[in-house]
Amino acid sequence: MAKSVVIVGGGAGGASVAAEARRGDPELAIAMIEQERFVSAAA
Amino acid sequence: MARTPEKFRESGVDVRIRTRVDEIDVKSARVRLNDGSELAFDILVLGTGTLAIRPEIPGTDLPGVFALKKLEEALAIKAYIAEKDCRNAVIVGAGFIAMEMCEALRARGIETTVVHRGALPVNRWDPEFGKLIVAEMGKNGVTFLANVETRAIEEGAGQRLRLVTSGGDLDADLVILAVGVRPDTALAKAAGVPLGRSGAVAVDFSQRTAMEGIYAVGDCCESYHRVSRSWVHVPLGDIANKQGRVAGANIGGKAMIFPGIVGAQSFKVFGLEVAAAGIGEREAAAAGYHPVSVLIWGNAIAPSMPAAKKVGIKLVADRASGKLLGAQALGEAGAVGRINALACALWAGLGVDEIGYLDFAYAPPFSPAWDPIHVAAQTLRRKL
Repeated sequence: MAKSVVIVGGGAGGASVAAEARRGDPELAIAMIEQERFVSAAA
Repeated sequence: MARTPEKFRESGVDVRIRTRVDEIDVKSARVRLNDGSELAFDILVLGTGTLAIRPEIPGTDLPGVFALKKLEEALAIKAYIAEKDCRNAVIVGAGFIAMEMCEALRARGIETTVVHRGALPVNRWDPEFGKLIVAEMGKNGVTFLANVETRAIEEGAGQRLRLVTSGGDLDADLVILAVGVRPDTALAKAAGVPLGRSGAVAVDFSQRTAMEGIYAVGDCCESYHRVSRSWVHVPLGDIANKQGRVAGANIGGKAMIFPGIVGAQSFKVFGLEVAAAGIGEREAAAAGYHPVSVLIWGNAIAPSMPAAKKVGIKLVADRASGKLLGAQALGEAGAVGRINALACALWAGLGVDEIGYLDFAYAPPFSPAWDPIHVAAQTLRRKL
């Protein structure tokens, strides 16, 4: 089974993790949890 | 905004907005969300950011009082200004966010007062630069009240707010609290993830925390400062991007390290560029260096050019090694570019003797033949 990654926070840091992890490994199950309406606001 | 939730979803990332993680259960490797559901993880990344510091005074929860941190809060301030037809605002605090806010408020024609408990704004910079920033605020219609403690915020007449301070009462339609941020480490702490001395989450060069399978990135964690040789908390978006990419590469199977920071930073306040990199005298002494400094004024471009402007450069070096430790610059032009050059010098650990003869891209519209960086470095070298 594919590894699952949970990212707490979708700001500049979290969103960069999601993008780069996906680029490296298309099989990863990635979830990104953000409290606000926006992700990647400063990225 | 670089990417929308939809863009992420297209690449197969399960993005959940308006959703909060309430708990991390390390033992069962699950997070519990505020909608009651749970998510299992093999790898967890903490990207929880910072929280705006609310001063310990009454009234910070009144309508019209904002702490600027998130994009949502900026939008809320904009909406409030329009809805209540705000004419005047008080900013509590005088860091770089407060400086940027003054300019944004004045651009909307709002009368703006900055209330600061210290003598000068932005204490990272030399008092000589601080005084020029105060003058720049004054020129642009901002009132700067120094050495004033804010004691309470109260409801005033009509929809107005009253700020009770050690220097008397101030009425305002809008109060913005800009007294700083702190890392949001509540989830990390509850899960037992160790924090560093700065109070932010401790990480290594691969962005891993001390807890197996848990990474941290961005404003909630520390960064290695290449000049002070210590782990520090510098919550800036460019650093978060890089740390995120490094953690993402490691998670995606490509080993990568984050090489650290030199503390480079800039802001604009009206007509001034203000920038710095490295460390100041006090941090230098604390890190075991013997700091010596110089502050010089030079021409941002060749003095024969019609648009000639002055730029101030402050350099701090170590007496024992001659290495550059820190740099600050302020001017109507040419400050940020020079700090970027000096950030490279700090990164590489150059000495002031080398910096005094660095090869720059000289032409009269862009710099004097002897750049102010050369002049500052050579002046400092003579003082070592």
